[in-house]
Amino acid sequence: MSARSLPLGAFLLALAAGPAAAQLIAIRSVPISQSHQFDLFPSLRMGMGGVSIAVDDSLHDAFGNPAKGVRLGASSFFGSPGLYSVSQGAGAGRSLPLGTWLRSGNWFGGAALAVQQVDLSDQVQFFPPPCIVCAEPLDQRQAPVNPLPGNQIPNTDRTHGNAFGYAMLGTTFPNQGLSVGASVEWAGLHGVDGVDLLYPRSTGLTQRGHELDLRLGALKQWEGGRALSAVLVHNRFAASHNVSYLDGFWDPGTQSFGQRLRLEENQDQTNTWGAQVEYSWPLRAPGWRVGWVATTNLMSHPKIPNYEIQNIPRDPGKSQAFNLGVGLSRTANASTFALDAVYEPIWSYTWGDAASPVQTSSGLTIPAGGKTIENHFRFSNALVRMGFSQDVPFDQDAKAFGFQLGLAVHRIGYGLVQRDNVQATTRRAHEDWVEWTPTWGMSLKFPGWEIRYRGSVTNGTGRPGVRSGGDVTVATPDAAGGPILVAPSGPLTLTNVRVMTHQVAITFPFR
Amino acid sequence: MTRIPRILLLGLAAVAGCEPTATTPNPPAPTIDAQLRSLIGNWGVVPIGAMPAQNPAQVELGRALFFDKILSGNRDIACATCHDASAALTDGRSLPVGTGGTGVAAARRLGPGRQFVPRSAPTLLNAGLGLYGMFWDQRLTGNQGQFTITPNVPIPQGLPNILSAQAMLPVLNRHEMRGKPGDLDVFGQPNELALLGDQQAVEVWNAVMTRLMAINQYVTMFQAAFPGSGNLGFGHAAQALAAFQMQEFTKTRTPFDRYLERDDAALTLPQKRGALLFFGKAQCSSCHNGPFLGGQSIANVGAPQIGPGGARQPGLDLGRGEQDNNDFYKFAFRVAPLRNVELTAPYFHSGALKTLDEVVHHYNDVTKSLTEFDPSRLDADVRPFYRGDAATVAAVLGTLDFRFRRPLNLSEAEMGDLVAFLKALTDPAARNLSAVVPASVPSGIQ
Repeated sequence: MSARSLPLGAFLLALAAGPAAAQLIAIRSVPISQSHQFDLFPSLRMGMGGVSIAVDDSLHDAFGNPAKGVRLGASSFFGSPGLYSVSQGAGAGRSLPLGTWLRSGNWFGGAALAVQQVDLSDQVQFFPPPCIVCAEPLDQRQAPVNPLPGNQIPNTDRTHGNAFGYAMLGTTFPNQGLSVGASVEWAGLHGVDGVDLLYPRSTGLTQRGHELDLRLGALKQWEGGRALSAVLVHNRFAASHNVSYLDGFWDPGTQSFGQRLRLEENQDQTNTWGAQVEYSWPLRAPGWRVGWVATTNLMSHPKIPNYEIQNIPRDPGKSQAFNLGVGLSRTANASTFALDAVYEPIWSYTWGDAASPVQTSSGLTIPAGGKTIENHFRFSNALVRMGFSQDVPFDQDAKAFGFQLGLAVHRIGYGLVQRDNVQATTRRAHEDWVEWTPTWGMSLKFPGWEIRYRGSVTNGTGRPGVRSGGDVTVATPDAAGGPILVAPSGPLTLTNVRVMTHQVAITFPFR
Repeated sequence: MTRIPRILLLGLAAVAGCEPTATTPNPPAPTIDAQLRSLIGNWGVVPIGAMPAQNPAQVELGRALFFDKILSGNRDIACATCHDASAALTDGRSLPVGTGGTGVAAARRLGPGRQFVPRSAPTLLNAGLGLYGMFWDQRLTGNQGQFTITPNVPIPQGLPNILSAQAMLPVLNRHEMRGKPGDLDVFGQPNELALLGDQQAVEVWNAVMTRLMAINQYVTMFQAAFPGSGNLGFGHAAQALAAFQMQEFTKTRTPFDRYLERDDAALTLPQKRGALLFFGKAQCSSCHNGPFLGGQSIANVGAPQIGPGGARQPGLDLGRGEQDNNDFYKFAFRVAPLRNVELTAPYFHSGALKTLDEVVHHYNDVTKSLTEFDPSRLDADVRPFYRGDAATVAAVLGTLDFRFRRPLNLSEAEMGDLVAFLKALTDPAARNLSAVVPASVPSGIQ
């Protein structure tokens, strides 16, 4: 939640790799656009490209490390309604988070609830309606196609709701400059943006899932501004995708083409243990501050969905993801400039299990449960964020106007070595792409309350679709057994989209 | 400090204003199953659903008719004679022996003064699925009660499927079942069906019905199969024959169909490699496509010319080109549906090739195969009817389908994989059809 990632479909759609620092490292192997669906809560720095290493974000840091709740200040309420939209009608969503921060003596805590409505893509019908591509005489016999029985009409609802809950409790030991905190977060998920597009020939999709995220954090602050923080994360994500397809078949009874419903249940599970350590300190030069961050994630993927869109057989898997980042900031008067640079090396290993004994090209037999395909991913990602903010006081009652600008550039690259144990072949692939996310924000501070707006637009990614005109290229390599479709034989092609996010956050303290 | 935000602003404006670049990811090469499913998807190939149970009374009537020689003019040949249950509903011969012959299936021999039926007996396995056309030249086409046959025969309208329309026709064919004027039947009685003219199809059908209605057991069976039908005709018999065939001869639970239903383990690796060739490099699917892997089109595949030939050019069988104004389709014959093809040798309209291996080698280089065809591979009684002279070969090659004009250059291993795939089109239940044979038939004719 928030700026962290949900490990949904770890290799195709690890969500919310937004411009903010993340304790959970997202893994993606195709440049499918991500909405910022889980970027729910208010932030000072999201409008600055999400810089975080050498600058604090007192509104947001506590969601990542509960010990940083000590920086929240007075008790307050907040609300941060937001929306996102993916261009070309490829998805949209609205969120309404409400929460409170509480402070009493050395104790601090918080709670938040959020509801969310997610519209799946309008373009789920990227693919042409069923038609027949047989020789000419059979074309004359397209009709009648047997109607589907009423009880087999797939679920085609396009809008789904999610719910989120968050609670945090911490305490501080002022004499030691030490704070500790713990948080728990739960999400009930029925609509995760983009998942429908990973099943491009499906006629219906029902998502059910949850995420549980537990965190223990500590923050040590020294005189002079040095700060060391650490957080331990355990995240469990489990979702099921009940996908329905209409498969074509020849009905000898009616002597015509028919369709029948096929249901597939895909499980998407990832359990993550993560740890992050951050250290920052001021430089001698006034206003300058530097810091570093180190994160490790150990992920197990008991089950990864077998998406239609990229048919790499894979069932279980495991990953080790790391990031190492350095940050620099300068604050002068009411201006802040900050820059982060993060390197993310990731190793991931997934494989496909044989459901039954499989004969190999060499005559050997892979027993049931043996590995038919082994995928070794080696990611080498880089992330650069930078941002600027300026606050402009406009009277003597502590009223101020502020604006933020920022840019996050995320380069994702990986090599894949795929061993096919059935055919005794090895394939290698390389992929890389760059995502650009300009961000912006504005704020109005009043003595009693504060309102903030922030927005972002992510470019450089796409959504599965059909390239129209000339050479028709359609996604999804898998068409057998389905309706009699026009050849979906080309490589995966993504239609470029932009993901636009807007959020308004209002914070007002208890009187 | 003022320069930094300015640079940032400029950069931001540049990034925000530019169009996103094309995203063309390069995923790893797909697995053999992904490749295969992708290829299959190009060709309209779908699994075959279950055949619904047919009217039991019609099935039993059809069973009796199928095996009863009373349908033939000389009472010496039944449908089952050339569509033998022990030979996957073919006769195992290059060319069939029709009325006047002796023996069954491959052991059948020509009678005195008779000639071979010009074209191989096609299997009846899966003939009831709803094929677009029937016969080697696809001269019967249609669906949903509307049928066309060339030359025209007054097939009753309203027959429920093309198989029942097809069942109307063999009894009219003098070589296959009806006989020649002057024939005596096996009991020494005049063959009244043969005495009717070639344009008197309705009279022939009525005459057959007269024979059937003279047998009490048939009367009972027709009444049970078609209760309330006061005016029984041979169309009812044809319907019953079709119901029987649909019930008993539909054999589609093949490994390939299971694979189409997403069981990746249904095919072995060589079969998958063969399927990749079938739907890809070898171009088999350019003809053998659709739900039946064929049965929809005609093509000149360069099959050797064997047999008495047709009417237009004595000694040559022009296939679809036998029809008027159809020179473009000279030597073009139906592209056979392929399920159970392993069991239905010999192959092609002339039954010239006896194994799938020979067929695949033929397609690998059609010109060479036709030019160098060795007639010694044919059965001795058919061998004299082989037309391998240079003029005939040139004529066949002259209208050869464009897809076969260049060799495929498949390796021996590839051709082996293709044969492996073709064997994945076999329903195990089609291997033994002995259960369909009745103990006796109402006429009592042996």
